[in-house]
Amino acid sequence: MVTKVMQIILSPVLALIVGVFFLGLARKIIARIHWRYGPPLIQPVIDMIRLFYQKSVSHGSMFDLGLILSLAGSIVVVLFLPFGQICPLSGSGGLLVILYIMLLAPLGMALSGGQGANPNISIGISRKLILSLGYEVPLLLVLLAVMTHYKTISIIEVVSSQQSTGWALISFPLFLSGLSYFLILPAILGLRPFDVSSAPQEISSGPMVEYGGKYLALATIEHAFVLFISIALFVNLFLGGAANPVIFFVKMLVVFVLGLCINAVFPRFRIEQAIKYLWKWPTLLAFVGLIITLAIRS
Amino acid sequence: MSLEILLIIAFGGALLTYLLGKTSEKIRDFLAVVISLSLVAFVACLYGKSPEKTFYSGFFGLGLVLRLNMLSWFFAIAISSLGALCIIFSLSYMKGRERTDFYYSMMLLVNAAMLGIVLAGDLVSFYIFWEVMSWSTFLLISYNRGPALAAGMKYIIMSIIGSLAMLIGMLSLYVTYGTLNISEISAVIASASSGDILFILIIFSIAFGIKNAVMPLHTWLPDSYAEAPSPFTAVLSGMLTRMGIYGFLLVMYVMVGMKNVITHGLLNYHYVLSLVGAITIIIPLLIALIQDDAKKLLAWSSIGQGGYMLLGIAFGTSLGFVGGVYHTIIYAACVVLLFMAVGAVEYRTGGIRDLNQLGGLIKRMPIAFFGALVGICGLIGVPLTGPFVSKWLIYKTLILEGHPLLALIALIGTWISILYIYKFLHNMFLGQLPEKYKDIEKSPFSMRLPMIVLSVAVLFFGILPGIPLKVINAIGTSFGFESLNVTLWGVASETGTLNTINIFSAVLVTGVIVWIIFCLGTKSVPVSQEDSYAAGAYIPKDKYHYTAEFYGPLYRMIKPFLRDVIDEFYYWIAASVQRLCSGVRRMYTGDVGYYVTYIILFLAFLIFVQLKWKPW
Repeated sequence: MVTKVMQIILSPVLALIVGVFFLGLARKIIARIHWRYGPPLIQPVIDMIRLFYQKSVSHGSMFDLGLILSLAGSIVVVLFLPFGQICPLSGSGGLLVILYIMLLAPLGMALSGGQGANPNISIGISRKLILSLGYEVPLLLVLLAVMTHYKTISIIEVVSSQQSTGWALISFPLFLSGLSYFLILPAILGLRPFDVSSAPQEISSGPMVEYGGKYLALATIEHAFVLFISIALFVNLFLGGAANPVIFFVKMLVVFVLGLCINAVFPRFRIEQAIKYLWKWPTLLAFVGLIITLAIRS
Repeated sequence: MSLEILLIIAFGGALLTYLLGKTSEKIRDFLAVVISLSLVAFVACLYGKSPEKTFYSGFFGLGLVLRLNMLSWFFAIAISSLGALCIIFSLSYMKGRERTDFYYSMMLLVNAAMLGIVLAGDLVSFYIFWEVMSWSTFLLISYNRGPALAAGMKYIIMSIIGSLAMLIGMLSLYVTYGTLNISEISAVIASASSGDILFILIIFSIAFGIKNAVMPLHTWLPDSYAEAPSPFTAVLSGMLTRMGIYGFLLVMYVMVGMKNVITHGLLNYHYVLSLVGAITIIIPLLIALIQDDAKKLLAWSSIGQGGYMLLGIAFGTSLGFVGGVYHTIIYAACVVLLFMAVGAVEYRTGGIRDLNQLGGLIKRMPIAFFGALVGICGLIGVPLTGPFVSKWLIYKTLILEGHPLLALIALIGTWISILYIYKFLHNMFLGQLPEKYKDIEKSPFSMRLPMIVLSVAVLFFGILPGIPLKVINAIGTSFGFESLNVTLWGVASETGTLNTINIFSAVLVTGVIVWIIFCLGTKSVPVSQEDSYAAGAYIPKDKYHYTAEFYGPLYRMIKPFLRDVIDEFYYWIAASVQRLCSGVRRMYTGDVGYYVTYIILFLAFLIFVQLKWKPW
């Protein structure tokens, strides 16, 4: 019981540290690729503390509650994801529940932005939702292939069967799915070339435009959690999780840096181009992966 | 005994309401509410009892039977309580309109007919109640006249086709077995050949498929939902359309029996039916995406959600069955909530339901917004609302039984729903409030009350889904499914447990913690909607709300593929029949000479036939 409570407290804190570290690292690496020096690694932390005490405006109660719901939703997902051997609540419904709780964060953001009453926000949310439909098709194919292959909907069992049979990423039908997930990862994270919903030059950062002060700080924290969740899900599903949090973190770091290096050099897609890309190669790969998995199973 | 009294109250109440309405409107309103509430209480008292009674046996020697079992009780309680809430909602919605006596009495009649359907123990009385329901629905759909008449006509024509199919099925059952009592049929049908069973299943599927608006029999639904008065649309979408699901359950699992329906292999009835369910999910939901009329959007969405129910009950495992039936009931609550929110907005804005003309109403109508929010969360299946549990059960059964492609369609359907339903909420309640709606009042109490009750119910049965799931599990076991291990907060099993109380406490605690952190920061300054970022430019009033073509880039990609071809095909058949008939009409010229010629030609034909083949 005590260890459980400790895990429940520990896992969001660890996730926050990792997520914020990734935010700082991303700025540094992108700066180096662009031949700039870049800000120090702890710049996001400094920014957040500063923002927390600055002035901000509120457009109404849903504006506040939506943001709170969004951040709370992300933290809850972390509680359901195994992180090394730390998995406080993973037993309450498995991957399907994780998939659905991951909805709370964008939904909260959309509700909060909606009351912001600024067309830039609405355009940003509309783009974000279209993009999410774009990447959900391959993502769902990937998740279904994994669940069909391991004949379970529990993420803990997916991790533990990989520990006995080897990583899913290097097993036969699932490497297609793993590759597909890796290809859509920047879209899930909203990194370039898929940063259509927050494009600063076109729509003034979209959903973020009315946020200032503590709102911006909380939104940044939320973004850090989303970074953690998407990469941790990949590590759990395809890289066999890990026996302890340190190895888990190393795996996450490798995936993140690889993804960043590939995508930092691309210019931004238009939303149609993004959808066309997402529904072509990643979907095809994931679909073939699922069909082969199904054929092997039956 | 008690079932007859129940129906007498229901039908008598409808008549009495009409008569009393001629004297005083207040008494009529009061009576309508009292009758609908007393039906709820009456049905609730019947829980766990299973009376059966032949109330009339003179109908060509066929006994008309009323009976109650777990399945019909479950549907009856949903029908009566949603009906009562819709009648309360009507009180202010219908105020000041013409022909309200007729409206209330028809609302009560529809309710009574639906109760009759679920209580009927033989197919004759089932058919009679079914027809009463269809016709009174037709009268209510065309209540507003104008385009509503055409919508009603479309509905009643398709409904009659369904009834005829049902009649053929009943006749063939009567000829084969000599009885139409459902329990007697189910006892003898096991000896029938598989061809006979398939015929019965298909012919009844046409009847119930039309009512439940299954692709390709769905075309009546969008027009009818859009044109009917909003409180009745709520009844129509909530329970009346779902009488189709009740019919499927009745024929598949009560009459024919699970063992005869669920056979293995790919090309068999229940598997084809689940494929039809999957198609019904994906195409209507995509069409919902491009709608601009709030009620049409919800109508297409209802067709799609009907697909989930069909998928669940047709797939035929205990998880899928429980999921499908639970989805039927709890989705009804969500969609009633959404139609009520639309109705409240319509009522206050003077009949506006075009999603491009509204906006920012959260400031003026907070309770309607809350109702709509809970409704859309339910429709998406956000955790802690009821439909999350039912969808989880359906997905899980599809994945574990090795049909990930069906699961894929169901899951993508959910993501499409997020898109269109967010547009629905955003365009109506969020964004900038137009000048002309600056001073509208919040919705009246008789509208707020049903919305609050339903929101609480959707959340309550999402956090503690065990209460309805236990009842449905009992229904499932009586049909021969294996029993599930249902706890108060979910379903426990070896292949993955659902625990909603864990999710609930996690969301609650983290929510509170984040809220405390939020409050610790510097206090924010409330600002008006005009005080927002526009890069230093002037903010034009009434034009600063992004609604039209909300998903523009996506529309341009999918719109060419989304014509309702089936509807056009039906219209083509109707037009061809009309052309043929007007061609035949030309024979009647009014000139006697022509008629004499016809007679002579016909006689000549007869003589020719006699000379050639000598048949007579």
